[in-house]
Amino acid sequence: MEGIIELHYRKVITINTSGAWEKLVFEDSFTEFKLQAQNFTVGTAYTSYAQLQRHVPQAAQLSARVTPAVNGYVKQLDGLIPDVLNNIGKRFLRFDQYQFELINSDITDKAKHQVAVNFYSRRLRWYKTIANLLLVSEMDEDAGAKQTNLFALPLYVNIKSFQPFEA
Amino acid sequence: MERKNFLKSLMIGAVTSSVLIDACSKDSDVSPTDSSSSSSGTTSSSGSSGTSSCSVVPTETEGPFPTHTPASYVRSDITDGRTGYKLTIKITINNSNNSCNALANALVDIWHCDSEGNYSEYGGTAMQSTNYTSVHFLRGRQTTDSSGLVTFTSIFPGWYSGRATHIHVHVYNSSGTSLKVTQIAFPEGSGSAVTAVNGYQKGLTGYTYNAQDNVFSDGYSLELATVTGNTTDGFNLSISLSVPA
Repeated sequence: MEGIIELHYRKVITINTSGAWEKLVFEDSFTEFKLQAQNFTVGTAYTSYAQLQRHVPQAAQLSARVTPAVNGYVKQLDGLIPDVLNNIGKRFLRFDQYQFELINSDITDKAKHQVAVNFYSRRLRWYKTIANLLLVSEMDEDAGAKQTNLFALPLYVNIKSFQPFEA
Repeated sequence: MERKNFLKSLMIGAVTSSVLIDACSKDSDVSPTDSSSSSSGTTSSSGSSGTSSCSVVPTETEGPFPTHTPASYVRSDITDGRTGYKLTIKITINNSNNSCNALANALVDIWHCDSEGNYSEYGGTAMQSTNYTSVHFLRGRQTTDSSGLVTFTSIFPGWYSGRATHIHVHVYNSSGTSLKVTQIAFPEGSGSAVTAVNGYQKGLTGYTYNAQDNVFSDGYSLELATVTGNTTDGFNLSISLSVPA
């Protein structure tokens, strides 16, 4: 049942996440959350994202409002989805679309700040599955032998769309 | 426990190759029985040392090292391709708790609508992916200098139903704590910039003047900017705002 797929990698980042890139995203998204959330906490006792979501409808904008704090870091990835490696350990999945997501946060408690960067892959041709490995290529490969990648679906990676090959 | 392993495996995947090399060398430094260090499950080294034989993770050349990048709000020119009469915005912040002396290092966030009265969208509640060019036009942030001044380049705002022409301002101290959320009002009447711009394409039919504006109608003398200039050369706005810092 192979066909054309798109992958979605939800990269969760918390105060415990290691990695230089991740720490920059964590720190700067928290700072921006704190700045932006205060547009909605004015005159209230709310401090957490959950409280704001429940009581202040406009707070639904907060993920989008914090996004410009992480755009610069996403650009530094040069269009390659991090962490998802092919079977020789290289990043290979290209993305054009991503979405920053606030999971939890609190303007008074950085430890509660949890975010995700959702990466959406380009469309891939999925040819076959070898053991637990998917054999895929990019869509724009020329006719003839395709440049392919073999990889295992890691945790937090979902196949978000599927379209069977034309018969 | 399942979940912890699951998280650890994510962490292993999340690190760059340089760290992975580190992780392996650390792993060989520690005794294989030292598996208690895995309890934190938060770093690559503990993630790998949780078992006596670390699984071999293939490596690749270190990518470019991430560098600190300010939020893309941090900019003086907030135009972002919006067309309209140029407006230079000079806001001076002073501290009402310190004899109205200039407040340096304050963060000043501003935002306003475009010539048609639209704000850059934040996407509402829908889960919507974005690309790099995701716009936040006519929004920007600067830090006050020693004289409390920030300068933005933008366009003269349009208007929308129910509101007089205005610019939103949020002032924070240097650690990001809100000091004041306010709005800047524009002078009206003959010779004013509001009259000269004449609502761009919309005209001023149905325009809400300051006296009827539900934000400004309780008095706006402290929020009223000085605006000079003309539609040929552009306009200059200046205002002093006192905030308690």
